[in-house]
Amino acid sequence: MSAITVFSAKKIITMNPARPTVTHVAVRDGKIIATGTIDDILGWGDYSLDDSFKEKVIMPGLVEGHCHLMAGGIWKFIYVGYQDRVDPDGNDWPGVKTLEDVQARLADAEAKLGPDEPLVAWGFDPIFLMDRRLDKTDLDAVSSSRPIAVMHSNFHLMTVNSTSLSLANYVADMDIEGIAIGPDGTPNGELQEMAAMFPIMRRLGINFREVGRSRESVIDFGKVCNRVGVTTAADLINDLPDEDVAEMTDITNGSDYPIRLMSLLNGLAQPAEETSARALELKKKCTDKLRLGAVKIVTDGSIQGFTARLRWPYHYNGAPNGIWNIAPEQLNELVAILNEAGVQMHIHTNGDEAIEVALDALEMAKIQKNRPDLIHVLQHCQMADRAQFRKMKRLGVAANLFANHLYYFGDKHYELTMGPDRALRMDACQSAIDYGVTFTIHSDAPVTPMAPLFTAWCAVNRLTESGRTLGEYEKITVAEALEAITLGAAATLQMDHEIGSIEVGKWADFAILEDDPETIGAEKLKDVGIWGTVLAGEKHKIP
Amino acid sequence: MKIREKPLPMTVLAGFLGAGKTTVVNHLLRHAGGRRIMVLVNDFGELPIDEELIATKEENILTLANGCACCSMGGDLYAAFSAALDFIPPPDHLLIEASGVAEPKRIANFARAEPDLAMNGIVTVVDALNYENARSDARLSEILKNQIQTAHMLLLNKCDLVGSQDIERHKKALRKLNKSAPVLTISNGILAADIFFGIENPMPGSNPAAENEHHHSHESNFSRWSFKTEGAIDKTGLREILETLPSSVLRLKGIFKSLEDGQLWAVHKVGSYVDFSHLTTPDNFSGKTGFVAIGLSSSNLTEIMDKAFASLEE
Repeated sequence: MSAITVFSAKKIITMNPARPTVTHVAVRDGKIIATGTIDDILGWGDYSLDDSFKEKVIMPGLVEGHCHLMAGGIWKFIYVGYQDRVDPDGNDWPGVKTLEDVQARLADAEAKLGPDEPLVAWGFDPIFLMDRRLDKTDLDAVSSSRPIAVMHSNFHLMTVNSTSLSLANYVADMDIEGIAIGPDGTPNGELQEMAAMFPIMRRLGINFREVGRSRESVIDFGKVCNRVGVTTAADLINDLPDEDVAEMTDITNGSDYPIRLMSLLNGLAQPAEETSARALELKKKCTDKLRLGAVKIVTDGSIQGFTARLRWPYHYNGAPNGIWNIAPEQLNELVAILNEAGVQMHIHTNGDEAIEVALDALEMAKIQKNRPDLIHVLQHCQMADRAQFRKMKRLGVAANLFANHLYYFGDKHYELTMGPDRALRMDACQSAIDYGVTFTIHSDAPVTPMAPLFTAWCAVNRLTESGRTLGEYEKITVAEALEAITLGAAATLQMDHEIGSIEVGKWADFAILEDDPETIGAEKLKDVGIWGTVLAGEKHKIP
Repeated sequence: MKIREKPLPMTVLAGFLGAGKTTVVNHLLRHAGGRRIMVLVNDFGELPIDEELIATKEENILTLANGCACCSMGGDLYAAFSAALDFIPPPDHLLIEASGVAEPKRIANFARAEPDLAMNGIVTVVDALNYENARSDARLSEILKNQIQTAHMLLLNKCDLVGSQDIERHKKALRKLNKSAPVLTISNGILAADIFFGIENPMPGSNPAAENEHHHSHESNFSRWSFKTEGAIDKTGLREILETLPSSVLRLKGIFKSLEDGQLWAVHKVGSYVDFSHLTTPDNFSGKTGFVAIGLSSSNLTEIMDKAFASLEE
C-alpha cells in the first residue's frame, strides 16, 4: 500500500456541504482518501505530514471551462494591451496606457529582433480607438523598414505599418471593405476582418492555428493555468488530428505538466457522421490528464462584433442582425446525430436567437432520443432570458456564462449593442441559480485573461470597466461564484465525479491561495494571492 | 508583393441550402474544358463531388482525372486560402462553394485584397422551387437577400420543375433586389463554364478547348461577340461603357493598350463588376488585342456590343 500524505492548511474550502471547511486533507495515489481534522484522518494508518501550506488556504483546483490553447502560444508575440498581464514564464507586462507607451514597447521589441523577422504584437485595446486611432504613421516611427503588425485584442482587427502595407500592395484606395483609408486617400494601416488581414498574415507568417497547436504553446498553456490556480482547463476548439493528439498525450503525461487538459473537436469541419465517429474514437484516447470526446459547435458570432444572432428588437444602435455559422436546420440535424451517438456538445451561442435555435435543436434531439447520460452545454449563452433558463432546466442543458464580458465589454453593451434592458440581464448567473441550471463562468482566454477568481469577481460585482453596475439582480454571492469556478465548471465538463471539490475519492487537485476568498471581501476577490497548485497530490508552485 | 506568377481568378458560388450549388459544381467539373479548377467547399457536408469523377483521395483533398481538385475549408479560412494558393500544380481557377449561410461578399473580399487572387465574380444560385418559402423564414431571410443583392450573376435553378409564370414572378422578385446582375434560368445546375468562369482567352482562335465548348448544345441560348482592335483605348471611357451595358451581357474579357499609359491592360466584367488589371506576364498572350463577350442570344448581343464599342472608336 502506498503512503499517505496529509496536507494541513489554515483553512480548506472543500465545496462538500457535508464538511464545508476542514484543516487537513489526506492524499494517497493522487486521490483524496480523507478530510477533516488530523484525528479524523488517523484511522487510515501511517502518514507523512506536509505542513508547507499551514499558513495558506486550500480550495479545489479551479476549473476553466472555456479557453483556448493559444492563450499559451500567443506570448511569442509582443503584448501591447491596456491591462497588466503576466506571461507564462512569470514576466510582468505592465499595461500600456498611451500610444507613446505602445510605441516604446514596440521599439524595445524591435531592437531585439533578427534582421528578417517581422514585428508582431497582440492585445491592442480598443480603449485607444476612442479619440485618435492608432495608424501606420505611429508604427512607421517604430520602423520604416521592418514589417510591423499589431493585432487588436478582439483578433478581428490589426494595424500595420507602411512596410507591411506595401508587401500586400495596399498602397492606394482600392475600395475594398476592411482596408481603412486615411485622410490622404491611401490605406492608413488599419485592417478589419480576415479578408483584409490575410495578405499581411500570409506574408508575415502569422498563423494563429499553428501558434495554438505548437508544442511550446501547449506547454505554455499549462503555465498560464498554473499561475491562476487552474488545474483543469477546456480548450474549446481544436481539429485534433492524430499527430496533435499524440503530442498532447505525451506532454500532458509528463509529471511536470500541471493541468488536466480537455480539448474539444471542431464540429463544423467535417460531415456530422464523421464528427460523431471521430468524437467516439477520440473518447477512447482519454487519459487521466487528457480528456477528449466532446464536440464544439459554433452557431453565431460575437456581441461586440455585432455578429451575434439576436431576436427582436435586435441591436440597440440599429446595426443589422448577426451571422450564422450553421443554418438552423443543419444544426438540428447535427445536434440530433451527435446526441443519438452519445457525444457531448458545447454549443457557442451569444445572442438570444442563437440560444433559441440551439435549445430548439436540443429539444428535438432529446425527443427523438433521450440521453440522460449527457449534459450538453450552451457556451457564452450571454443573452439568455429567464424563459430560456427555464427551458435549459427542462431539457437538462447547462450554461457556461461569459462573466468577464461584464467588465471588458459591459459599457459597450449598455451603450451600443444591447441597450440598458438587455445589458442588465446579460450573463445572468442569478437566473441560472433561480432555475437550477448547472452553470459555470469563463474567460475565453486569450480573448480576456484567464483568472477564474477574477471571473468570479465579475459575476459577484458585475462592474464594468467604467465602474457601472450592470444589473444588480444578476449578482451572485462569493460562495456561489466559488462553486461556479470549481464544481460548476467540472459539471459542464462531465468531470464533477472526479474533480471540483475536496471529497473522498476525487483527484487531489488543489488551488493553493495566500488569502481566504470567503473572507477577503467581494470587491477584493480578484486580488486573492495564488501560491500555485497541487495536481494529483503533486505540488506545482508558480515558478 | 506577389508570391504567385499571376493572380489566381476566384469565383464565389453562393446560394441557400438545397438551391443546387453542388450540382452546378459537378457540372462545371465535368465540363471544365481544360481548366484546372480548384474547388474549396466552405461547408461541413460531404465533399459534393460525384464519385465517378474522383481519381484519388488524399487526406482532405480529392483529385479528379481532369486535373481539377476539391477540398473542404474546414472552418479555417486562413489555412484554406493558403493551401489553395500554394497548391501544386497551380490551378487555373479557384471556385469557392460558400456555405448556405455565408455572406458571399465577405469571402469575395479575400480575392479583392490578396494580390495573388483576382476577383472573378459572385454567382448566386436561387432555388426556383423553394425560394419564396426560404425568404419567409425570418432567421434566414436577410442572408438570402444578401446573397442575391451581392451577386454579379444570378442562376435561377430547377426551372424545369416550375411553371413559366412562377419563373417570371421569381425573376421579377430577383430583379427588384438586384438590378444589375443578369438572371439566368437553368435546370439541373447546367451552365457553361465560359459563362460561370468567364472567357478563358480573350481572343478567339487562341484556345481550342474553349472553342469546342462553344458548340455544346446547352450553350444554344447564348451567343458570342468579339472585337479586335489595335488602337489605344481610353480606360475611363471603357469603364463607363462596360458599367452601362445591359445585364444580358453576361461576361466580357479583353486585352487592350491604354491611351493613358500606353501599357497593356486586361479587363473583365461580370454583371456590374468591372475589373482592370495590368497585364504583367503576357506569357501565353497571343499578341492580339480586343474584346470578347458572351450574352443571351435573345438579346441581340451583336447589336448591343457593336453600338457600345462604336462610341469608343470615335
